[in-house]
Amino acid sequence: MFLTRSEYDRGVNTFSPEGRLFQVEYAIEAIKLGSTAIGIRTSQGVLLAVEKRVTSSLLEADSIEKILEIDSHLGCAMSGLTADSRTMVDHARVEAQNHHFTYDEKISTKSVTQAVCDLALRFGEGAQGEKSIMSRPFGVALLIAGFDDDVKEGDGAQLYHTDPSGTFVSYKAKAIGAGSEGAQTELEQEYYDGMSLQEAETLALKVLKQVMEEKLSATNIQVASVTSEQGFQVYSKEKLQTIVDAL
Amino acid sequence: MATSSAKEASFSPYEDNGGTNLAIAGQDYCVIASDTRQSRGYNINTRFAPKTFKLSDKTVLSTAGCQPDGNMVVTRIKQHMESYKHAHNKEMSTPAVGQLLSTMLYMKRFFPYYSFNILGGLDKEGKGCIYSYDAIGSAERVPCLASGSAAALVQPFLDNQVRNCNQVGKPRIMAASPVSHLSLDQAIKITKDAFTSATERDIYTGDNLQIFIVTRDGVEEQVHPLKRD
Repeated sequence: MFLTRSEYDRGVNTFSPEGRLFQVEYAIEAIKLGSTAIGIRTSQGVLLAVEKRVTSSLLEADSIEKILEIDSHLGCAMSGLTADSRTMVDHARVEAQNHHFTYDEKISTKSVTQAVCDLALRFGEGAQGEKSIMSRPFGVALLIAGFDDDVKEGDGAQLYHTDPSGTFVSYKAKAIGAGSEGAQTELEQEYYDGMSLQEAETLALKVLKQVMEEKLSATNIQVASVTSEQGFQVYSKEKLQTIVDAL
Repeated sequence: MATSSAKEASFSPYEDNGGTNLAIAGQDYCVIASDTRQSRGYNINTRFAPKTFKLSDKTVLSTAGCQPDGNMVVTRIKQHMESYKHAHNKEMSTPAVGQLLSTMLYMKRFFPYYSFNILGGLDKEGKGCIYSYDAIGSAERVPCLASGSAAALVQPFLDNQVRNCNQVGKPRIMAASPVSHLSLDQAIKITKDAFTSATERDIYTGDNLQIFIVTRDGVEEQVHPLKRD
């Protein structure tokens, strides 16, 4: 598949004659190896659901965390080299706190996404005396969910997808990771405007169930929501169990 | 060898150019006013040096004290608001500017701006809002406020007329409540009276009165003459 790329895929700062940055493209490929993550936006809030790969019966499933809080009104789900996301989530958290400190208001979802994407491109040698923090592109994609408070009624919920190239796009529903192709097709068929958060919850789990290799249970998934009233909240084990049972 | 006597290094970077500001917040308006005299000691540098500036359609900033310092505060806030607009795709709200000014002043904690600032405008709900500051950024939202050279003359007048302090049979408005109960016309009248009286007693206040009226329709500016003596 990549046979012809041997000349230009070593350096992260060299374009190929066709105008491509192979290392960035490879990083995007890395996400397709990761576990599936789904985000669905409704007017009531955003739902995030991820698959956890519990590879051993001895593994403590609770120790796998693929949905993280950025601020009280912001959360993110990830797929790919999840360790890389620590740097990005850390950056996002600092950015959100800084904004709150300086302006006494919550940072908008778009601004925090922009900040994460600025970081995503800061790999390689580090120009203008700036210290290099990352030698290669980040191998992780994020679904950033948030609820903005100073917009028109019903427009608060936000969902953004970011990838290693530093591109970000807003979605109504988006799937990333190994099962993303099947999941995205399913989402495209099942999503409709005016969906409630509860319906999004059912849809996300239904789609996850279809694309997961293991049998879906309360232990091998993680679900969180971002709403106007509750902000970011990860579902408890008990709550997960009830919605899995209802499926 | 001659014995060297002790030398005192003198460094006085501050100047007080005088001037008075006033602000009154109502349910759906905010009035911010200042005189335009700029003095140095017993001299008047100019009779028309505005020290209140429109920052956006919702926000006005007023400064008094050291003119260059006040100017610098305004310039930096304006710059910051511009870059905020590019970064976040929206105009900064008055409470956000309020917090920004506080952090900006505190950043110069050990070489403060000698500027007595009042930030006025409308908040996100469209209510009038006023922020009061000390030189190093301690901020508070208040219903009415005076600052600058005649602050000690004007503030008690506002407390009495706007907040009904020491008035029998009128409901008192607490210092911590966000807005007054006055109508816009009443607020403008009180503003004019406050400056007419302050001009009589304070030599650093006079010449012209600049009033900025912030409503949901935007910012209206009026200029009225004050005594020039």
